[in-house]
Amino acid sequence: MIATFTFLTKRRGGLLTVIALILVLTIFGVLVSETFGTASNALNILEQSTPLALVSLGQTLVIITGGIDLSVGSMISLASVLLSGITNGDPLMMVVALATIMGAGILVGLINAGASIYLRVHPLVVTLGMGAILQGLTLLYTQTPIGKMPKGFSQLAYGKVLGLPIGAVVTIAAFVLTAIFLRKVPLGRYIYATGDDATGAQLMGLPRHKVLFLAYGFCGLMASIAAIFLVARLGSGQPYTGQNFTLTSITPVVVGGTLLSGGRGGVMGTLMGVYMVSLLNNLLNFLSLSTHFQLIVQGLIVIIAVSVYVENKRKV
Amino acid sequence: MAHTEQMAPARDILRTYGIHIVLAALIGVTAILSPAFLSGNNISNMLLQAAPLGIVVIGQVLVILVRGLDLSVASVMATAAVVATTFSGQDSDAFPVFVVAMLIGLATGLVNGLLITKRNVSPFLVTLATMTLLQGMRFAYTQGAPSGNVPPIYRVLGSQTFYGVPYNLMILVVLATVFSVLLHKTTYGRQVYLTGGNPVMARLVGIHADRITIASYVISGGLAALAGLIYSGFVGIVDNWVGRGFELDSIVAAVMGGVALSGGRGTILGGLFGAAILVVVFNAVLMLGMPIEFQIIIKGIVIIAAAAIYVRRA
Amino acid sequence: MLTISKVSKSFPGVKALSNVQLEVKAGEIHALVGENGAGKSTLTRIIAGVHKPDEGTIEFDGEIVHWDSPAAAKAAGIHVIYQEFVLFPNLTVAENIFLGHERRGFLNGIDHGRTRQDALDLLNRLGVSIDPDALVSELSVADQQMVEIAKALVHKVKLLILDEPTAVIAGHEVELLFGRLRALRDDGVAIIYISHRLEEIFDLCDRVTVFKDGQFVATETLAEMTNDRLVSLMVGRDMSELFPPKSSAPGPVVLTATNISVKGRVHSASLELRAGEITALSGMVGAGRTELAMAIFGGLPMIGGQVAIGGETFTRMTPSLAIEKGIGLLTEDRKGQGLAMLTDVATNISASDLGSVSHKGWLNHGREKEIAVSEIANYRIACRGPQGAVLTMSGGNQQKVLVARWARTSKKVIIMDEPTRGVDVGAKAEIYRIMRDLADRGLAVLMISSEMPEVIGLADRVYVMREGVITAELRGDEIAENRIIQAATQKRAS
Repeated sequence: MIATFTFLTKRRGGLLTVIALILVLTIFGVLVSETFGTASNALNILEQSTPLALVSLGQTLVIITGGIDLSVGSMISLASVLLSGITNGDPLMMVVALATIMGAGILVGLINAGASIYLRVHPLVVTLGMGAILQGLTLLYTQTPIGKMPKGFSQLAYGKVLGLPIGAVVTIAAFVLTAIFLRKVPLGRYIYATGDDATGAQLMGLPRHKVLFLAYGFCGLMASIAAIFLVARLGSGQPYTGQNFTLTSITPVVVGGTLLSGGRGGVMGTLMGVYMVSLLNNLLNFLSLSTHFQLIVQGLIVIIAVSVYVENKRKV
Repeated sequence: MAHTEQMAPARDILRTYGIHIVLAALIGVTAILSPAFLSGNNISNMLLQAAPLGIVVIGQVLVILVRGLDLSVASVMATAAVVATTFSGQDSDAFPVFVVAMLIGLATGLVNGLLITKRNVSPFLVTLATMTLLQGMRFAYTQGAPSGNVPPIYRVLGSQTFYGVPYNLMILVVLATVFSVLLHKTTYGRQVYLTGGNPVMARLVGIHADRITIASYVISGGLAALAGLIYSGFVGIVDNWVGRGFELDSIVAAVMGGVALSGGRGTILGGLFGAAILVVVFNAVLMLGMPIEFQIIIKGIVIIAAAAIYVRRA
Repeated sequence: MLTISKVSKSFPGVKALSNVQLEVKAGEIHALVGENGAGKSTLTRIIAGVHKPDEGTIEFDGEIVHWDSPAAAKAAGIHVIYQEFVLFPNLTVAENIFLGHERRGFLNGIDHGRTRQDALDLLNRLGVSIDPDALVSELSVADQQMVEIAKALVHKVKLLILDEPTAVIAGHEVELLFGRLRALRDDGVAIIYISHRLEEIFDLCDRVTVFKDGQFVATETLAEMTNDRLVSLMVGRDMSELFPPKSSAPGPVVLTATNISVKGRVHSASLELRAGEITALSGMVGAGRTELAMAIFGGLPMIGGQVAIGGETFTRMTPSLAIEKGIGLLTEDRKGQGLAMLTDVATNISASDLGSVSHKGWLNHGREKEIAVSEIANYRIACRGPQGAVLTMSGGNQQKVLVARWARTSKKVIIMDEPTRGVDVGAKAEIYRIMRDLADRGLAVLMISSEMPEVIGLADRVYVMREGVITAELRGDEIAENRIIQAATQKRAS
């Protein structure tokens, strides 16, 4: 028992910090506003954070491999305009559109992985370039909000199952399944090994390429699914809708204790990170501070978080 | 792997002269397809556009040389531009504007450099965070839409020419010369290359590697602020997004110009050639009547391709 | 089991292997020896499927094979223990051991409990007590080596290759390892054992194959081989020529380090260095030798103690201060800490003394080149001139670039951490001679070394460290293998 506890504090010290911060923020919120502490507000936070949570989930896997995906923002924009643009109110076309954007998300991820493997270019550069390409394609397709979704599609954003927002259920399911995958499936462990020491993984005969294709493909898919929830909330796809997600998808990952250098971290930390960021934004709303302050706070969180988790570089 | 051995010389040639060949080919092809491309007007227009980017590229090259990356440059530019409009908008306030803008740029660079060296945080993340932070502060300050005028002198520096030579290009040439000389002829420059080449070694041979790294970010911040002022004079109307895209453009230019993202390799001149290619490409897209979105797409393809060509051996 | 014939392999600029052969039988331990650069590592990597040979054939277990990845070689039953470990610092010991051979449980998922238990059993069988739940990054280097060895025992291998496995372990652990290897041999496993330590080879191996400069020299039975003959096959010169004569009259003390402590690594260590003398700092890898030297040089912060040099006493050092006071340090990790690999020879030589190639901050490129040219001649550095890239040079020549750099700046003390690591025997002799020259020029030379022969053959005085404490100071006839080993392994009096 004691051993387990020290294990937790030693390896998961960062996570405990995040949980403590969430508690502090909640207490602070309850003190400043009566409605803040209500169950409906908590659900509200969960519902609002669905798209962010999903993108961050994908981003986490990529970051554990030692990479990064800066194309998620543009991918979300592209997926959202394609979804509502192709559907345009027709339920039948919606099926086609959904398949298209999920396929596109996976394809973009696979291209990102392939380019970094075969061209030997750092993922930062590859996905930065890919982000520009996707944004350009999005703007070629449309420069304004486009199309509309069938009636009832907004249920995805506002509906509930068993009293929980659909988005929250999907989020929790996705995180739990991914966590199990990372822990229980060998390929999940290889994701960590690849991020820890890519050359070593190759010498060990681990399927490094498979790992990268999987992580980036998954990340692309998650960006597309995030776009579905965004469109459900906004009613139509917009060409700049994903823009801010590139940075914001990384914030919860880093806050949750996953090292940017790879090999260390986990999706549950990211979930905590997502919740903390959403909580903070929610709190800022309650304090009636403008969204501009959310940007400032976002920047500060990243700086503070990364300063706390100093990356373990070699001494001397 | 006879394959790579045959590839090697081709790649070497591409590495060394590729950028010149590409630039010449681009100019040639565009000029044939669109004769207006080589008109005096268009050329001076391109140079006017190239100068602010070039100034930012100098800073970006210095940062990349020490194994860094500065994503905050565009945000610094926009903030400087906002500062330019906050005073009376008269030339009498040109100097206070300059001082305030430079202080913001230098301070941003200092924060970046300190967090990167003293806290070991990844440059990418730090500069992304300061970028966002600055953006938030700018929005909060302007309440969404800046108003006011840029002092006329900045308009002159940013958009006018002297016998066809833009003033801002002259500033670029002076700065590029100064920093190139610093890099190649002084011990400071040598310390930059050694720090980027092997930071641990640099420390163990007595170089204050942290100071050298911080200096790169401070210079990059300062140059971005200067570029922001000049660019505000070029666009005339200031919004919250002056310089948008310059962070990516400056990195693309540096990478195309052969500056290694792994640090310790590359020159300012190379980075400026990269910037020239970008400006020509952007201009060509317009001259050839393609949708402007192609600029972004081409940029994306070009950065991946350039990085692939310069991939380090072994 | 394994027959390699007429294998050649080139890398850009280097012919690593030329028409070599090697035959290893099942149930034998086959030594592979040769100077560094002889091609042992390249051949290892070819057998392991990392590189593809340009020419020649590999026959394994009766079949001609063409592996295109390490995974394929692994699947065929080959396991390699590389000199630079292939361990994942952020995974646990148990996870590392079973990586690629995960223990499955419910729904074919990983069974972490069983992984842990099996790892514990395996480590016990090896005779070491390592916590299977510890992260590998938390282990000592010696324990990491034992984990690396445990990995080889997870599944049935047909061919096991060990590249310098005893570089970081000693005494009891070496015996455990050898016992395990003999048992594997008796089970019919073929083992290729690569080592610089010839006594180990005579102790453990059945046959030996010698490579030199990427070429096959000979394969012989060790029972019919003598030490001298083996060395002459490797280098074609006599062992006694390796070390220059020792110093008879050491000069005055130039540096005194008193009660130096480095957090967690060095506890109140004191030593003094004399002009004209080569002092060795001996002990096991991980005993805190490098950390002590780094603290004296200012590369690591000391939490206690002081360094006295040139009449001044310092409780805080920095590399720039140390250099100013006339101390130099050649790190053991040439690539990571010593050289800017992508820059040229001239730049690397002048790096620690930019003042000598500049005036008021302006670089004098001509002067820098002159210095480089003269140092290249001085130390007989084989390179393409001052503008040659250090990346493509051999280990010995890279080391000479570092010697040239630090011999220029070190006015009083030069510290050399494992100066002959990864250096071939020919270059070794040259480096020993250079070190003696430096001492004769009046410098105090401090050498950190894990190689017993060079400590005994070269040092005038020896400090031995164990677990962060200096346990012995030996001089003259006291400098003998048993005395050093005793001091390096004895338990601390508590």
